[in-house]
Amino acid sequence: MKPQRILVLGVGNVLLKDEGLGVHLVHRLQASYEFSDNVELLDGGTLGLRLLDPITQADHVIVIDAVQNGAEPGTIHKISAEVLSKKVAFKNSIHQLDLVETLAYAEVLGRRPTCVILGIEPLDIAPWGTSLTPPVAAKVEALEALVLEEIHQAGGSWALKAGESPEACEAKGYVFGDSGGNHRH
Amino acid sequence: MAQRIVVDPITRIEGHLRIEVEVANGKVTNAWSCSTLFRGLEIILKGRDPRDAWLFTQRACGVCTYVHGLASIRCVDHAVGVTIPDNARLIRNLLMGAQFLHDHIVHFYHLHALDWVDVVSALKADPVKASKIANDVSPAPKNGPGDFKAVQARLKKFVDSGQLGLFANGYWGHPAYKLPPEVNLIAAAHYLEALRQQARTARMHAIFGAKNPHLQSLVVGGVSCAADLNPDRISEFLYLWKETMAFVNNVYIPDLLAVAGFYKDWGSIGGTTNFLCYGEFPQSAKEPESLFFPRGAIFKRNLAKVENVDPAKITEHVKHSWYEGDGALNPAQGETKPKYSKLDTNGEYSWMKAPRYNGEPMEVGPLARVLVAYAKGHEPTKKAVDGVLKKLAIPKEALFSTLGRTAARAIETQIIGEAMEGWIMQLVENLKKGDTKTFEPYQMPDSAQGMGLNDVPRGALGHWIEIKEKKIANYQLVVPSTWNLGPRCAANKPGPVEEALIGTPVADPKRPVEILRTVHSFDPCIACGVHVIDPQSNQVYKFRVV
Repeated sequence: MKPQRILVLGVGNVLLKDEGLGVHLVHRLQASYEFSDNVELLDGGTLGLRLLDPITQADHVIVIDAVQNGAEPGTIHKISAEVLSKKVAFKNSIHQLDLVETLAYAEVLGRRPTCVILGIEPLDIAPWGTSLTPPVAAKVEALEALVLEEIHQAGGSWALKAGESPEACEAKGYVFGDSGGNHRH
Repeated sequence: MAQRIVVDPITRIEGHLRIEVEVANGKVTNAWSCSTLFRGLEIILKGRDPRDAWLFTQRACGVCTYVHGLASIRCVDHAVGVTIPDNARLIRNLLMGAQFLHDHIVHFYHLHALDWVDVVSALKADPVKASKIANDVSPAPKNGPGDFKAVQARLKKFVDSGQLGLFANGYWGHPAYKLPPEVNLIAAAHYLEALRQQARTARMHAIFGAKNPHLQSLVVGGVSCAADLNPDRISEFLYLWKETMAFVNNVYIPDLLAVAGFYKDWGSIGGTTNFLCYGEFPQSAKEPESLFFPRGAIFKRNLAKVENVDPAKITEHVKHSWYEGDGALNPAQGETKPKYSKLDTNGEYSWMKAPRYNGEPMEVGPLARVLVAYAKGHEPTKKAVDGVLKKLAIPKEALFSTLGRTAARAIETQIIGEAMEGWIMQLVENLKKGDTKTFEPYQMPDSAQGMGLNDVPRGALGHWIEIKEKKIANYQLVVPSTWNLGPRCAANKPGPVEEALIGTPVADPKRPVEILRTVHSFDPCIACGVHVIDPQSNQVYKFRVV
């Protein structure tokens, strides 16, 4: 049997402190690990429909996001998207999409993957800040372990990149880099 | 007696845009557009390296990532005084063109169509009749009775399950829906088709963008995707372009004409008065002269006179916005000093500033671009606009409307798409000649000012930068949705959406689909998408402005 295609999708806005959790973690994983060919990592930002293509090409999606569930900031949450979509009431306007709706679109196309959401309760998602707050940052390592375990369960594998450690990569800064940018010339 | 209706949220992102209208005798008599989300991105940019600004601005919005990235890069290009190579200009244009194709298809089918198309009515359609109508309009594939029957079965499954999902909470059965069941079915089928197509069109960005959704290939002085300028990548781009254009020509344009034919009354509803276009798609280093879509301003709907644009005449007012003071500043000297009071439609009621040009509110976006190009005699635009007016048998005056705005978006999709072929071929010619240059070196000055004027899918987008000691001292963005959806100004003149809503008929105040039609026709985007999942309150978006 062909291994199932796994998409690790980090979503959120990196300009809004803990809101950027999913994106930060995806960059951290990309910098530190090599993954098997059936695993794709994607910085999804806050996009909706533009993510439909990668989502419908996957069999299993692991979403990483800040999850607001009335718990202590820093609490790790795991939610199945199937549960989530039943609870979410769609609002009556027709613009801008969120993850749940993008999954609904995938279903309309008959290509909805299974999905799990892993996240941390945020402390602060108000503008503006490009780093995580201490209670959330303290749990990133634990969340990373959960994501890796989820990848394993789904049939993917990984190896630490030679000479890298997640902590060293963290220090380099992911999204904006040390100098804060991408100066290739 | 006048009655107040509040539509909140207008966009799915809760709390981003709230429209309040006053209705008397079945018509809107007054309107207020309130953005309830603070967007002072400028604050986070101060003190940073100007070359990095685009990495932040492209994260400001969940939809317009590329356009905010490019606007910032152009703004810093201008500040450092670099002239980018021909190939860089072509690639930037092609990526921008791909953005238009994607955004406009998604807008028409997924963000706007359900204001006009009754999905539930499609269940009553006769698939054989629908197939005949569809084939008469356009020879698109998947027009057979069996195809329409399959779509109907899929829709029925959603309806019968009691969960319309994406189609839930529409105003189905509302008397303002005018399409016959068969046309509703055709449109619903193409809604699904467009869903597949947009996913493929979105891939165009990944080819020269290094990565979709957040492109990495922009750089001050050019682009950094030189390695992708090879025959394989270019033909891959060309292939996706062809496929997208087949959809635009055989599905989007015919659908626009078919739907518009039943809503001609909307050719006199939802219009505004003044139009501003910065222009887009430079054909050479000479700007604005070489812009494919010309730069210009139209006042009082006078198409006989297009004025040149002087950026010094742009001001942002804050009298009715939650910022300090009552002044009106040019963005080059702009300030962002938030000061929230309360939502009061007689006083301050929006986080948006009110941009004005020469003191006037200006509509920006597809209609402004098409009107300026049309008035300036831009051949492809003239041909396309006259063709649509003739097919619909409506006068030129009908362009100043909700119908005109939605038609202009389709028209420019086709015009830009067709122009893209020429840009691809120019790129191929350059490479054949051995010209592979994509970057021009430059020196970062100690201090400088820069301005990047762009016309992006939603309209005129300007970024302004002030550099001191090689760092960002000030940064201001004036985005299309602020022009269109901003509040009243110091002179109490309503913004374009506020003006457009006045006179809109409202058959049933509890189900104001007519209001959504006009507001959605502007393709509102209030940026800063927030993605926090909240299972407790059953809300996906949760964002409080403090």
